[in-house]
Amino acid sequence: MTSTVINQDLFTAAVEGLPPGQLSSHRSDAAKLFSVTGFPTARDEDWKYTRLDGAADLSNDWLASLAQHSTSTEASVMLTDAQLAPTQSINADWIIVHNGIVDAAALGQLKLPTGVNVSLIGEDSEHLALTTDSPMSAFNAALLTDGLRVRVANNVAVKKPLGFLMVDDDRSRVTQIRVVLELGDNAALRVVECALSSGVGPTFTNSVTQLQLAEGSKLDFLRLQNHALDHISTNRFVANIDKDATFTHNNFDFGGDLTRNDIVAIIEGAGASVNLAGLYLASGAQHIDNHTRVEHRVGPAVSHEEYRGILNGKSRCVFNGQAVVFEGADGTDANQANHNLLLSDQAEIDTKPELEIYADDVKCSHGATVGQLDETALFYLRSRGLDTTEARRLLTQAFAANILNLLAIDEAREYVKLQLDERVASLLGDERT
Amino acid sequence: MKTTLEVKNLHAGIGATKILNGLDLVVNAGEVHAIMGPNGSGKSTLAQVIAGHADYEVLDGSVRFNGEDLLELEPEERAREGVFLGFQYPVEIPGVNNAYLLKAAVNAKRRHLGLDEIDAFEFLKLAREKMATLGMDPIFLNRGVNEGFSGGEKKRNEILQMAMLEPRLAILDETDSGLDIDALKTVAAGINELRDPTRAIVLVTHYQRLLDYVEPDFVHVLSAGKIVRSGDKSLALELEKNGYEWVKEAVNA
Repeated sequence: MTSTVINQDLFTAAVEGLPPGQLSSHRSDAAKLFSVTGFPTARDEDWKYTRLDGAADLSNDWLASLAQHSTSTEASVMLTDAQLAPTQSINADWIIVHNGIVDAAALGQLKLPTGVNVSLIGEDSEHLALTTDSPMSAFNAALLTDGLRVRVANNVAVKKPLGFLMVDDDRSRVTQIRVVLELGDNAALRVVECALSSGVGPTFTNSVTQLQLAEGSKLDFLRLQNHALDHISTNRFVANIDKDATFTHNNFDFGGDLTRNDIVAIIEGAGASVNLAGLYLASGAQHIDNHTRVEHRVGPAVSHEEYRGILNGKSRCVFNGQAVVFEGADGTDANQANHNLLLSDQAEIDTKPELEIYADDVKCSHGATVGQLDETALFYLRSRGLDTTEARRLLTQAFAANILNLLAIDEAREYVKLQLDERVASLLGDERT
Repeated sequence: MKTTLEVKNLHAGIGATKILNGLDLVVNAGEVHAIMGPNGSGKSTLAQVIAGHADYEVLDGSVRFNGEDLLELEPEERAREGVFLGFQYPVEIPGVNNAYLLKAAVNAKRRHLGLDEIDAFEFLKLAREKMATLGMDPIFLNRGVNEGFSGGEKKRNEILQMAMLEPRLAILDETDSGLDIDALKTVAAGINELRDPTRAIVLVTHYQRLLDYVEPDFVHVLSAGKIVRSGDKSLALELEKNGYEWVKEAVNA
């Protein structure tokens, strides 16, 4: 029997059983919120196509073991070379988070530039406000034991990207991880996050990243999700963007059994700029759901968004792009596009742009397309001697290249391209199954 | 003389529309043939059928290339065997690099012939040489295939592909359309460069003007899906003077 109901008794016992510390009051506040909502269900409009039954089952098992204090909080197994590959390929200051636990020893040895401070969230909770704006972010905060807090001082532009390697390969645990990013006035930071798992059996990760961009600051964030095909993840990114600040989020989803991303950008200052770009590749029975929301609370401000998807097999993807222009947010310029390549007649995409405009002087546009590979282009390539497999591969890569070209972090380009090419090849191989 | 292309009693169409109605054509190695005819007479259909476009259905007849049944082969196999179609409307493929396609095409053919693949240095040298003779800036190598090319640039790119692939049979479909006089001369020079005793070239064209620069050995007039007149280059001049109505009347008479 499947259900999205979280056992309330187990939940309460688990929250109360966590080791006390600086996060205790944050957890109990969040637990109150979550107890009211529980997991989202199909009755929630935003979760119409994505069911969290599997995640709820795994969560209930984990809560039971937490309530009995039978879960260790130490990272045990060493990471494999394959899991560490991104740290070898992308030149960044890497921080490793294994099954939701930060490798604190390695973090302590990291030599970061002056003006950059990375600490453990449980040891550095001064003026910390954990975002609990949704059931899943409240669930995360209620059960949080570890996470990262990154602060960049005013006027510090960090050259080398910061890297987060998030590996989840423990079946007995549901990972709750939170990253808090705080950039001071005119600060600049680039972050590469790679999320991996190992296919040890069904696992569930519920992650939250919250970002505060002060005046004139700039964050480029890349997330590359390459989970194993039995992994469930819900991932929420909430950005508050002040005057003249720039937020760029590049989102690549290649793996996972069920993946749900919520990306929320809240523009709170004039002159802000938001760039969202995403690429999702799904085959087999994969399910990838991207919900994005840009709130133009003030104007003038600009937001650009382009998401592309490539679907094969019996996969199912969802794109929902909300843009809300608040009353008085004049001078808003918001555009959004979602393009999909359907390579199988059994794959399904549900794409929905949602514009809500309450201001007068705005420029907004959106567009969504769903199509197949261009037969004329296929014939052209074949007429030059390329076989069908290579012609299809080239055209599929070309479709994806539009998003790859938007990648803001050059250090990661080669690695992402390599992963993308591999994923395209495996995805195209799926079509006859 | 070695026969390169032998089309016999070819009937073909697209969907329910029959376009070719018993077309016969023999092209020998070393010859340049021009196929002329009014719009809708089947010129492009003939070119597409020879290249292997799946939308066109062959209903009857045969097409042999160097003695082999061409219709049995996939489009890419035809290309590797040495058939080249210069498209009337070359396709823009953003995101696929022009140099990559050229190199992949050359190597697909070389592998088929049992030759080693061309190395990157050799390839670039060769491509730049050919581009220089066609008056193409080497920057076009780094662009997407035909992406944002003008009409003339697209046609030059087709000729560049032909020059790199050195086909045994080249069918150039309306390669002259949309070209100004300078581009026409350059493209014609590129075609003349490839005239060779081992190569057969078929120029599909609506107008005579390309034939001022690439002199054909034979001219055929296509009407309602079959060749209704054949002659030497003077036939093209006659057509230019009297128009296609003259041919239709001659046929009906």
